[in-house]
Amino acid sequence: MTSFKPTRRTLLKTGTAAAAFATLGPAFLRQAAAQDADLAPYKSAQIDWQQVSGETITVAVIPASYFENLIALAPQFKALTGIDVRFEKIPPAQIRQKSVIDLTSKTGTYATHAADPMYYALYAANKWVEPLDTYLADKSLTDPAWFKLDDIIPAWRSANGIDGKLYGMPYDGEVTIQVYRKDLYDAKGLKPADTLEAYMSNAAALNTPNDRVWGAALRGVAGAGQNMYIYPSIFREFGGDWMKGGKLTVNGPEAEAALAWYVDIMKKYAPTAAANWNWPDIADAFSQGTVASYIDAHSSASVINNPEKSKVIGKVAYARWPKGPSGKRTTSIWNWGFPINSALPEKKRKATWLFIQWAASAETQARTAHKFAGPTKRSGVNRTSVWKDPDYIKLMNGFGENFVEATMGALQEDTDVDWRPRVPQWPAIGDTMATAIQSALSGQASIKAALDDAQRRIEPMMRG
Amino acid sequence: MTAKRLRIIALLAISTVFLLAWAFPIVWSVMNSLKTDSDVLAYPPKLVFTPTWEAYRDVLFGSGSILPNLLSSVIISVGTTVVTMLMAVPAAYALARLRFRGKKFAGFYVLATQMLPPVGIIIPYFLVLRNIGWIDTYQGIILIYLSFSLPFAIWLLVSYFEDIPFEMEEAAYLDGASRLKTLWRIIIPQVRGGIAVTVVFVFLNAWNEFLFAVVLSGNTVRPVTVAMFNFVSVEQTLWAKLAAVSVLAMLPVVVLGVVAQKHIVKGLTVGAVKGGGRR
Repeated sequence: MTSFKPTRRTLLKTGTAAAAFATLGPAFLRQAAAQDADLAPYKSAQIDWQQVSGETITVAVIPASYFENLIALAPQFKALTGIDVRFEKIPPAQIRQKSVIDLTSKTGTYATHAADPMYYALYAANKWVEPLDTYLADKSLTDPAWFKLDDIIPAWRSANGIDGKLYGMPYDGEVTIQVYRKDLYDAKGLKPADTLEAYMSNAAALNTPNDRVWGAALRGVAGAGQNMYIYPSIFREFGGDWMKGGKLTVNGPEAEAALAWYVDIMKKYAPTAAANWNWPDIADAFSQGTVASYIDAHSSASVINNPEKSKVIGKVAYARWPKGPSGKRTTSIWNWGFPINSALPEKKRKATWLFIQWAASAETQARTAHKFAGPTKRSGVNRTSVWKDPDYIKLMNGFGENFVEATMGALQEDTDVDWRPRVPQWPAIGDTMATAIQSALSGQASIKAALDDAQRRIEPMMRG
Repeated sequence: MTAKRLRIIALLAISTVFLLAWAFPIVWSVMNSLKTDSDVLAYPPKLVFTPTWEAYRDVLFGSGSILPNLLSSVIISVGTTVVTMLMAVPAAYALARLRFRGKKFAGFYVLATQMLPPVGIIIPYFLVLRNIGWIDTYQGIILIYLSFSLPFAIWLLVSYFEDIPFEMEEAAYLDGASRLKTLWRIIIPQVRGGIAVTVVFVFLNAWNEFLFAVVLSGNTVRPVTVAMFNFVSVEQTLWAKLAAVSVLAMLPVVVLGVVAQKHIVKGLTVGAVKGGGRR
């Protein structure tokens, strides 16, 4: 259950304390659940938490510490509501497949699942999941003054909404930021890049493969959530518009310039293997001191600060995305949200909503983050109020210089709901784009040819 | 003399290259399973390091223990193998020996089921199991595994049965043995090698299966192939643990292979030489 402990070391300078926690394992978490079992903060909500007591729901999540922490608190939810929650952990690549099969077949296996924000267009178009506004508006189910929807990061709410309706409640999310080696930058008198151009020249200045230090690295491996996770930010920063004149467009001058920048930095200043790297590989390389900078999820800070493997602790600093030619910085608006499966009977839907409300509440967010008793705390909480909590900030500042500022700045100013094309056909489009980007990165196709080919493939999907 | 020697050296060199290429992933896994996380990432890769059993201890007895998953794998693989063999042996015998209407069609049908790409039938299977409430159950997964292991086993066994001289059977009939008794006493001992080969392949296929398992299993039944995937998390890849689970998952297969090796070699050659025993 807690096999992912080492990720979010909270930089207790004492590795020993962490190691002691790690060996205690599940016993420790059970204790954590019990010792915090104070339900008063929840009971102040003006709703009957026990209204569907006795129900059982199954929730699919991915194996990740931020969900492990939630699972550890499940006994508290049971005590509060009388609802049993069965968690099923499914790897990220399969959770989409399994939940789509479940939703199409209307079998109602998963009451809710950790959902990819890019899938809501598909879910909503098929009415597979419920619009959450009815639940939010129902006074018997939600106390708005207690739940404070507005406190939940607005960018993530819009990422999980279609036509102004919320379909998935953000639980944990991330922004993409620059991560760099302050010691190397200082030695050359460099500053974190303010523009993509400067990012390229910084990378050039630090690229010394003979000393096993490469200038930069970005996710290169093909996949809707891999290269097609980084490229959309670059595309938007170059002024690209996915829905040009109402038509999904992936080629054209902005796209070519954006992909050229991506290919350029990967070919010239990244380790050759980075073309096949996903972000854990980048973080692994950075933690071994072989990469001077990367742009990726802020949550990777926990890996590069893991005392068990990182050699760069204390040398790391952060900054927001460099600006593109359009003058914009564009972060990912990735978050794992919880939708409600429409195929469920009414009582189970209510139980699911109570679970979602509990998981997304400020109290549970804090209890799974800085107030969590185990060694790994979350760094992707869904609420502005928690992000402003001094205890939380203190914890996050342990990751390195400017971490909280860069992350908060990105969350508040660099988010962009049209970061990726939000259409029901996304799964196929994401894969097509991933293949196109890969063929350009590997040099199999010219940049223009790769993008034009992707456009040709995507057009029939949009007609269908 | 020198030419012959050169040839030997060349052959040795070529086989060394192939052997290295094939053995590398296994050696890599075994080595990494004995390293700490920081040693796994070290550059240049450490060939000499202080081995630790930590990864094994964690995956076996830690909080995310894979022991239940190994047990799941054993139940699924053994179950699939037993049921497959119970049905495949008589079926293969019938196809090899008996004359009945539609025999040709039946023979073709057995092969035809092997022609569908598995990924295309996974959703129908899911729906079927869902409707009978067998998702995430042993009987459900074994039932689906039978759909590919049974045709494969029948198809493999038919050729072994065909190789047995009909005269042997006739002799038994003359002595008054029934067909079933003949099958049990005379035929089966003759195709021991073939049966051993089939058992090994059916077991291996079931043990290594991932695609169906990942969709059709859940919390209750989760074979090790699916469970080990969780070590590649969104946050980081736990290389040492992943390697340790891989090695553990390989062990039964290796043991089975070594035990059955004698039969496999014999079985394969018996099946290979046609004409000897054939009518």
